Amino acid sequence: MAEGGMTIRDSLRKSLGGYLTREAVSLALLAGLAVVCFLGVTVLSRLYHTQQESLGSRWFNRGVVDLKAQRFDRAVIEFRAALVYARDDYAYQLNLAKALLGTKRSAEAYAYLINLWEREPEDGLVNLELARIAAQREQTQQALRYYHNAIYATWTDDASQATSGDLASKRTVDVEEQRRETRLELIEFLLRMNVKTQAQSELIALEENVGDDAAEQAHVGDLFIRAQEYEHALEAYRASLKLNPRDSPALAGAGRAAFELGRYDLAREYLQTAVNTNSSDAQSAQRLKTAELVLRMDPFRAGISAAQREQAVMEAFVAAGERLKSCSANTSVETGLGADWAKLKPQVTALGMRRNPDVAQKAMDLVFNIERQTSAGCGTPAETDAALLLIAKLHEGN
Amino acid sequence: MGIASNSPIQVAGDGGHPRAGIAQGPALSGPGQAGHTPAALLRSVFREERVFLILSVFIGVFSGLAVVCFRFAIGWCRIYLLGSGTVLTPVRLVLAPTLAGLAIAVLVIHVFPLARGSGVNQTKAALYIYNGEIPLRTAVGKFITSALAIGSGHSLGPEDPSLQIGASLASAFGRWMKLSRDRMRLIAPVGAAAGLAAAFNAPISAVLFVIEEVIGRWTAGILGSVVLSAVSSVVVMRWFLGSESMFRIPLVELRRPSELIAYSVLGVVGGLASVLFSTGIGVLRPRFKAMPRWTQYFQPAVAGLLIGIIAVLGAPQVMGAGYEYMDEAMHGQFTWQFLALLAGLKIVATLLSFVSGTPGGMFAPTLFIGAMLGAAVGGAEHWLLPHLTVSPGTYALVGMGVLFAGFLRAPMTSVFMVLEVSGNYSIILPVIIANTVAYLISRGLQPMAIFDVLTRQDGLDLPSMEEQREEGILRVEDAMRPVEDPVLGAQATVEHALSEAEKSKGEELLVRMNPSGWNTVTKQQLRTMVDEGKGACSLGSLLPIRQIPCVHPDQPLETALRYVDRWPLMPVVSRADFRKLEGVISQRDVLERYREFGEG
Repeated sequence: MAEGGMTIRDSLRKSLGGYLTREAVSLALLAGLAVVCFLGVTVLSRLYHTQQESLGSRWFNRGVVDLKAQRFDRAVIEFRAALVYARDDYAYQLNLAKALLGTKRSAEAYAYLINLWEREPEDGLVNLELARIAAQREQTQQALRYYHNAIYATWTDDASQATSGDLASKRTVDVEEQRRETRLELIEFLLRMNVKTQAQSELIALEENVGDDAAEQAHVGDLFIRAQEYEHALEAYRASLKLNPRDSPALAGAGRAAFELGRYDLAREYLQTAVNTNSSDAQSAQRLKTAELVLRMDPFRAGISAAQREQAVMEAFVAAGERLKSCSANTSVETGLGADWAKLKPQVTALGMRRNPDVAQKAMDLVFNIERQTSAGCGTPAETDAALLLIAKLHEGN
Repeated sequence: MGIASNSPIQVAGDGGHPRAGIAQGPALSGPGQAGHTPAALLRSVFREERVFLILSVFIGVFSGLAVVCFRFAIGWCRIYLLGSGTVLTPVRLVLAPTLAGLAIAVLVIHVFPLARGSGVNQTKAALYIYNGEIPLRTAVGKFITSALAIGSGHSLGPEDPSLQIGASLASAFGRWMKLSRDRMRLIAPVGAAAGLAAAFNAPISAVLFVIEEVIGRWTAGILGSVVLSAVSSVVVMRWFLGSESMFRIPLVELRRPSELIAYSVLGVVGGLASVLFSTGIGVLRPRFKAMPRWTQYFQPAVAGLLIGIIAVLGAPQVMGAGYEYMDEAMHGQFTWQFLALLAGLKIVATLLSFVSGTPGGMFAPTLFIGAMLGAAVGGAEHWLLPHLTVSPGTYALVGMGVLFAGFLRAPMTSVFMVLEVSGNYSIILPVIIANTVAYLISRGLQPMAIFDVLTRQDGLDLPSMEEQREEGILRVEDAMRPVEDPVLGAQATVEHALSEAEKSKGEELLVRMNPSGWNTVTKQQLRTMVDEGKGACSLGSLLPIRQIPCVHPDQPLETALRYVDRWPLMPVVSRADFRKLEGVISQRDVLERYREFGEG
């Protein structure tokens, strides 16, 4: 048996020895050592990364607290420290950018934001911040691009982008609300830059998304007024007044919109209510007065008798004469106007107008001409003249 | 060049002569049984060149693991010595580098004397002087002292130490595997490439640097191993540390060609800064080394103290490797004036750290200075000429390459490093232009590259890679002379040949053989043939069958040198037509040319 055993062992050793070269054994040992070292480094790596994450998170949370408290300088330092431990963390970078914006270091903030934008061009918050920077630099096209991106982008709460800390809850905010706010901001920017056509388009888009909120509707109306889109403004105020009929600013706004549209009846109605509701609203009171004057002095308004029309024409003619007289020193006013006025004056009587129906029209044409020229050359017209000027505008082209 | 005669690098392409080296082909298998048995097959698999390739992968893996640990060590040192925030307390800023400097000095003087310096020259010395031997203790020492130095805020980087750690590990594995002397010499660069690749997260740059600065020439034999080790180390490093690039790369754009002028200005500034930096090291280092021995204990501490003071005074960015600040510079987060100040202060801080003998690398400081200088130049140019320049971030990126080319004098690596780090090919034109300008200025103003300066200061005589690259090569055409004597035909009779030969000045004549090839014959041989009554015979039938090797005019002169002792006269023929004689060359011609070359 022993002899047989030795033979088997020998033959095994012999056959294995053929395979087990020194190099093969050494490489196999190296492979084993590599596995052991790999496992060891894995343990170290976990320790290291856990510590790094913890430190990053700790600095980030401190930064968030300071950012909320508007201690921007401290927040910048803390977010920078957080980024040392997680250089590519999205939330860390975004918050650092916000803090930098708070310290008015928009160039630095821009660098972070543009980097984030390259990573996630769909992020609403990043687009909004970039739009704000562009707006601050008065780069209209860039701002428009980023604002539009922001409006149609993905909106989530800041915290949803945090990777750590107590803000990590993934709460989706009201996306529509964010978009509306962004569009409002864009409109404000466009109005500030006096890009009214673009602002009107944005307002029309906004109007569709405004819900049943009287204040919001009234705000939209205000913006339409600023964009000189009075028809839509009136609609917005009406919508607001439906929800809150005694809302004084909405009444004043509706009055103003109607006034600008030349719908003085309606304007008087709204303005009257507005003044009744808020007696300190001097602007509305003034506008109401003008509207009433327009309604009273307009000889072409419907539903008045011939005598009333003649009276209105005569009053207007006299007022225009006075205006012309006070403005006679101004060389920009046509010198022939006085002569025309003097020539026509004898005919502008109740009798004259009854005899020749064209006199009223001629008289009013001359009145309008006088008011236009004097308003251009002799400063802002007074109440009556202002009303006459508005009547002239109202019947322009008729 | 001590290794020239034995290294496989040197003998490659020597015209079909058997290569010097080890374990050639199936020599390990017995005759008639090669590849027939599994054991023989296995043995043939483990031929040394294959083992070397497999070992390269292991070297890469272990170097990658070592570099990952090194990075962890630096991170921990920084947190525990300086603190975890970015705004550090003045006490720590001053005390940490000072006390760490004291500890480092004691370790370097008493425990790890070879850990001093950057590590690149030590690896070169291993290749050219110590037969690839780098004690493992050096790697341990480098790991500990460099981590302590960089983590405590000394203005040094982790790349060169990583290179040396890789080389040292590779050397240890080579010794363990009992590699031949030729392989052992090459194993240190293989490890160096692995270490550098993992530290830089840039395998191409690492391979190029090792080829350009350590080995000095391209050969297929070493390239495969270097690439394998570099790639495997980067894979390991990315496994643990992620594949993010070192910097957040800004949007790179070159809007108009005129911007290249602005980049040339950056090249000029970078070249001058490189000269200033390397002159500073060249002048200060020997003076610090020459100071009394007891001062060696305090030099790193004093350097640390001064760096701490710079930090307290408002520039903590100069501490450590400073990658995060390079990143910030690339994204326009500093004014150009502050960037210029940082570049200057970093030169001072790095000079202090390096000349005091603190172990650590110069790669990261070089990149830092380059990035700051680049962004400063970009910012200043933008301020002066707003329409000429666009993004200071791109200038920072290009600036890194500029300093690399100007200071480290590795022009190829500098270009590829920026490309690899930026991942953007559109930056190539500015990089090439700026780097070339910086390199030329640096080379013009300071003929000796920094690594060569350090070598000489250490009393070593390692080959200068820059000199090797630019060394003039003598070619056959430089030594050959025109054919003045008649060329004999193989069909000519001996009598005719002799009459022709008598008219010539030389003793030896060329014979054009049929159908091709060349031979020689002397006048004396011809006379003997005539005397023997063979005058009517054709010359070709009487000459021994031996063909003279031909050389071509463009071949290195050393190729001709191999044959001229056996062949007194050699034909120099055209590559297009082997029968067309361009000239002749003899041993005397070759030696005379070498003598003239040696005399300058």
